[in-house]
Amino acid sequence: MSTSNVKVVNRVVSVEGLRKSYGDRERLHGISFEVRAGEILGFLGTNGAGKTTTIEILEGYRPYNGGSVSVLGVNPAHATRAWRNRIGLVLQECELDPVYTVRETVTIFSRYFRRATDVAATIEAVGLSSKANDRVGQLSGGQKRRLDVAVGLVGDPEILFLDEPTTGLDPIARREMWTMIEGLRDAGKTIFLTTHYMDEAEHLADRIIILRDGEIAAQGTAEELSATLGHQTAITFDAVAGLNLDELRVVMGRPVSLVDGLVHFESADVQHDLRTLLRWARKGHVTLANLQAVQPSLDDVFVQLAGESVGDRREVEP
Amino acid sequence: MSDLSLALAQTRYAVRGFLRDPTALGFTAFFPILLLLLFNAIFKGSTNFNGGHVPAPSYYTASIIGYEIMLVSFASLLVRVTTNRERGLLKRFRGTPMPSWVYLFSEIARTLIVVVTTVAILVAVGAIFYHVHLAAHLMIGLVTYTVAGVFSFSALALALTRVTATADAASAVGPLAATILAFLSGVFIPVAIMPSWMLNLGKVFPLEHMARGLQTAFLVPGSTGVTGIDLGVMLLWGVAGLVVAVSSFRWEPLASGGR
Repeated sequence: MSTSNVKVVNRVVSVEGLRKSYGDRERLHGISFEVRAGEILGFLGTNGAGKTTTIEILEGYRPYNGGSVSVLGVNPAHATRAWRNRIGLVLQECELDPVYTVRETVTIFSRYFRRATDVAATIEAVGLSSKANDRVGQLSGGQKRRLDVAVGLVGDPEILFLDEPTTGLDPIARREMWTMIEGLRDAGKTIFLTTHYMDEAEHLADRIIILRDGEIAAQGTAEELSATLGHQTAITFDAVAGLNLDELRVVMGRPVSLVDGLVHFESADVQHDLRTLLRWARKGHVTLANLQAVQPSLDDVFVQLAGESVGDRREVEP
Repeated sequence: MSDLSLALAQTRYAVRGFLRDPTALGFTAFFPILLLLLFNAIFKGSTNFNGGHVPAPSYYTASIIGYEIMLVSFASLLVRVTTNRERGLLKRFRGTPMPSWVYLFSEIARTLIVVVTTVAILVAVGAIFYHVHLAAHLMIGLVTYTVAGVFSFSALALALTRVTATADAASAVGPLAATILAFLSGVFIPVAIMPSWMLNLGKVFPLEHMARGLQTAFLVPGSTGVTGIDLGVMLLWGVAGLVVAVSSFRWEPLASGGR
């Protein structure tokens, strides 16, 4: 919210030094962050990083062991009914009753809230108007998930928690979900979004937090996160018989590796290094087959920061 | 919307859901009627009860009504609450401003509505086909045991949800418990031909007392069948169930480890 000349950063969520243990094992090691009014915060991490633990603490489902948590000015550990009226939830795993229609489902949930939005408008907002009279059991996976979002929205919440809204959806359903969430962002909703897809966070979130083993590994906008990786570009080409790697290392002045038949090195100045490489190749009559210079993507940032591979999306292993 | 009208809306919603669930409807509404017709086709004539000869069809009408009360209040409620919890729906409800009691009220009110409706059908079948005479003493006993039965068996079902993690488990445990107790309680087999040790074992559990109370109300002229011991044992189980349910009820799926 802002007035004409004073910009007020309105913190919807603020978390300071949050700790959570299950038995002897500490899962959250004192994390701090905030969510500002009107933004989508992307909370990213691999499975087991602590995303769900964090979101469930914010939602008032889990107690915590240390630090302070405030959601809409209230400690969720002492959730009141008035507070529940102001938040919207979309849980990671929830199967709505298949025997009711879409409209009946949204209607019954609307009754729980003091100031519910119009049921038809809410169904419209998630793109299910044509399915309003269909039973939940007849919906596709993506439609069910969007109905779940409608149920989270119907109380007109000041913050919406979306816990992995696209996990398990096919690519088209995923795109539809994105379009819908973009609509919510345009409408000014504050959203706390967990996901394990970097592209999803990059596409939807204003700011991104990367969680690793219960600690915040990085946070910032997508651009800022890209920058943290530095400007190292991966240069690769197919290795040929008789290639002298040691000579190339000397010429390039940096470590050069050979992985799966690909010669690989990192470059901070691509133009300069490519020129050096081409000169060396011409002199030694080496053919640089399949020569590539690959910029790091946000996926690479994620893989690097999350500390483990989330699938072999890269062609070249560093 | 006041909490009471919310509770009524939630109850209507639960009843509508029940009517759309063919498994629940068949199992709790049609199956007992079928049982009543079957038992009366097999056991004709009379049986001994309370030291006298009584018509078998009246005996079975009373017995199957007792069985039906347990089936709906215990087995069906256990399955429904466990299923909703496994789906994550209870957790979802818990995250809304709806007070917890509204959900539990709606499930128990739904149970009561289903019990009253199906018991009325069974009584009608008894009156039309098996010469059951709807005397005042019978009705007093019937209403008393229906209310006590719904209370006790619902409380026990909610208590048992603490250990039935999945809908599959609940679907096995609920009907199995009702069936075994029905055999131990003189519901399926007349008490006159049952071994006494089995009857004594049955007396520990609430179904035996509800069945005997109902049988007395239906078969002994002028008696409501309501005794302190029968009602007392039922309510004792009910209160024990309630205490366990209140102190241990879980809203989140049991199987999930929770990160």
